[in-house]
Amino acid sequence: MKYAALLTNLAEDVETWEKMSAEEAQAVRAEEVPKWEALFGELGSIGALAFGVELDNPSTAKTVRARDGQTIVTDGPFAETKEQIGGVLVLQCEDLDQAILIAARVPVVHRASVELRPLVER
Amino acid sequence: MQYLAMIYGDATRWESLSAEEREDVYKTYYAFSEEAQKAGVIVGGEELDSTATATTLRVRDNETLVTDGPYTELKEALGGYFVFECPTIDEACDWAAKIPGATHGAIEVRPISVKGGAS
Repeated sequence: MKYAALLTNLAEDVETWEKMSAEEAQAVRAEEVPKWEALFGELGSIGALAFGVELDNPSTAKTVRARDGQTIVTDGPFAETKEQIGGVLVLQCEDLDQAILIAARVPVVHRASVELRPLVER
Repeated sequence: MQYLAMIYGDATRWESLSAEEREDVYKTYYAFSEEAQKAGVIVGGEELDSTATATTLRVRDNETLVTDGPYTELKEALGGYFVFECPTIDEACDWAAKIPGATHGAIEVRPISVKGGAS
C-alpha cells in the first residue's frame, strides 16, 4: 500500500525563515538535519521511501487556472492557510499503522503536521 | 529544474460522476500524460484518494495526536500531482494549464528544492 505524506510547515515559521540570513536559516536547519538523515536512512534500508521532494517556499508558487480557453496565472499558493505544504513523500507501507509510525518521526510533525493519504493505484 | 504541480479540485464534483464519466476523465489525463511524456516534461505523478481517507498527525509535548481528515479543510482539496522537468516556472505553468483539472479547479506550481527517494 502506498501513502502520500504531505509535510506541512506553519505559515508563520516560513515567514520567519524568509527574514533570516542564509547563515541563520542554515543554523536552524542544521539542528533537524541529523533527524531527517536518520529517518531517510532507515526508510531507505527497509525500502519504504518511493519518492520524496522538498518544495521552495509558498511565496515562490504560481497558481494556474484554465477558463474558457484562457490561462490565468496568479502569484502565490492556491490557498493561504495556517499550515502550508513544504514537502511530499510517498511511503511504501504494509498498512496505515506503519505509515503513522513513520509520519510520527518526520521532524515537521512537532511544529506543524503530516497528512497521510492512500494513493489510487490503477 | 523540477516543479511540483499540485492539482486542487472540488471533490463533490468527482463524487457526483458516474463510473463511465470517471473513465472519460481518466482518458483526458492519460492523453495529457502521453503528450507531456513525449515532450519529456513529466517525471512523475500520483492520484491521491479522497480527503475522507486522510489521516493527519501532529506531535505536541511528545504526545502523538492522530485525527481523521486532512490538515486543513478546503472547498477544493488536493487530489493529485505531477512532477514536471522544465527550464522555467513559466513553462511549467504552460503545462499545468493543460492538466484536465485546470479547467474547473486550480493547479499550484511550486519549485522543488530537494529531490530524494527511489523513483
